[in-house]
Amino acid sequence: MARPVFGRTSAPDPVAPANGDAPGRIAHLDRDRPLVEAAQRDPLRFDALYRRYLAQVYSYAYYELGDHHEAEDVTERTFLAALANLARFEERARPADGEGASTFRVWLFQIARNAVANHRRGRRRHPQAPLEAAALVADPLDVEGGAALREEGAAAWQAVGRLPADRRRALVLRFVEEMSTAEIAGVLGRSEGAVRVLIHRALRTVARDLRGRTGPAARPPEPDGR
Amino acid sequence: MTGLDRDSASADALLTDLYLDAILAGAVRDALAGGSPDGIGDRLDPGVRRAADRLRRDLVRVHPSFRFEERLAARLAEAAVALRVPLAAGAEGRLVPFPAQGLGPTTGDDGAALLPGSDIDVPVDAAAADLAADLAAAAAQRDRSRPLIIGGALTSAALSLAGAAFVAWRFGRPGRAATPMARAARAVREARHVAPRARLAVPGVEDLVPDRRRPRRLD
Repeated sequence: MARPVFGRTSAPDPVAPANGDAPGRIAHLDRDRPLVEAAQRDPLRFDALYRRYLAQVYSYAYYELGDHHEAEDVTERTFLAALANLARFEERARPADGEGASTFRVWLFQIARNAVANHRRGRRRHPQAPLEAAALVADPLDVEGGAALREEGAAAWQAVGRLPADRRRALVLRFVEEMSTAEIAGVLGRSEGAVRVLIHRALRTVARDLRGRTGPAARPPEPDGR
Repeated sequence: MTGLDRDSASADALLTDLYLDAILAGAVRDALAGGSPDGIGDRLDPGVRRAADRLRRDLVRVHPSFRFEERLAARLAEAAVALRVPLAAGAEGRLVPFPAQGLGPTTGDDGAALLPGSDIDVPVDAAAADLAADLAAAAAQRDRSRPLIIGGALTSAALSLAGAAFVAWRFGRPGRAATPMARAARAVREARHVAPRARLAVPGVEDLVPDRRRPRRLD
C-alpha cells in the first residue's frame, strides 16, 4: 500500500496542530523549513541549501553514473532546477516522519533522479564502478592495509554496480545518503514496505556476490536488470 | 510465492531495516566492538549482516572538487539575481488601505488594519495602517477607496502618468510654438493653403492650368 507521506491528503490530518492550518494539510515539520522559506523570499539565500546538500546530490549522481564529469553535470542541472522551481515547493513532512525529516531533501533527490534519468537517456552506457573511488577509504600511510582495503572497497563497489538499477539506487540512498526508509520511498515513489524488501534483496545479492568472489567457487555476477 | 513466503520475506526485510537503522546510527558498530552484539544482528542472516557491515564501511560519500563547488555557487547566484529582477520591478509592493473620505483605517479583531469599503478582510501590518492614515489626511477632499500599491510599481506608474499628462497638455495647448522648425513648418503649411487662392486671383492664369474636367478641343 502506498504511503501518503509526501502526497496530498484529502482527509483532515488527525495530528495536524490547531494553528490555523487548513484542514487536510499536513503539518509542517521540515528541518530545512527556515532555509527553504528564506530562499523562497530571497533566491540568493538558496546558497545555504546548496552547501548543505551539494555533496549528497553529487554522491548520488556519481554512484549512478560512475563518472565525475557527468556527476557534475547532473548536480548542476539538479540545483538549477531546484532554484528555479523553489517557489512551487511545498513542505509535506508529518510528525510521524521524525525530527530529522526533510521533504526538501526528498524533493531535491526526486529532481536529481529525473536529471540522472535524462542524462542516461542521452548516453545509453553501462556505468562503470569507479575503482579510484575505493581509494578514498584507504589509509594513505598504511600501504599494505590500504591496498587490501582498496581491493575490498573496489569489490563492494563492483558488487553494487552490478545490481539492477532500482536495487542499487535504494542501497546508495540508504548507505551513502543515510536516508530513512520513508525518505527513500518518497524519492523512488514506492511504499516503505517495497523499499525494505528492495534493500533486503539487494543485500542478499551483494552478499552472494562477495562470497562468490572470496570463496573457492566464484560465481558469475547476476545479469544487470537495468 | 505463497502468502507465507511473502510474510517471511517482509519480516526479514523489516529485520534488515532495523539492523540498518542501528548500524547507520552507529549503535551496533559500537556494540560489536565491545563484543556484545545486540539481538537484532543475531537474528539476521549472517551473509546479509556481513554485506551490510561492509557496505556501511565501503560505500562512502564522494565530495566534488572545490573548484566545481564554487563555480556552481557562482552560477546559482547569477540565477538567483535573475530571479530577483521581477521582484525589483514592483512585485514587492504591498497593499495599503486608502480609506474613503471621512473614514480612518479600520482594524480587525487582531488589530490588523483592514481594507475599508470592501467585504474582503485583507490584513495589513501596522506600518501600512499608519501610512494609510497619512495618505488619508493628504487626500481629505477626494474620495478614493481603492487600494494603492506602494513600491516600485508606484514609481513607474507615476512616471507613466506624468508622461501621458504632459503629452495631453502639449497637444491641447493653445498658442504657437516659437522654435525655428515650428515656424518653418507653419510657413510651409500656410503657403500651401494660400497659394491656390492667389493664383486664382490673377486673370488668365486658369488657362495655363490644364483642366482635366473640360474636354480638349481637337481643332
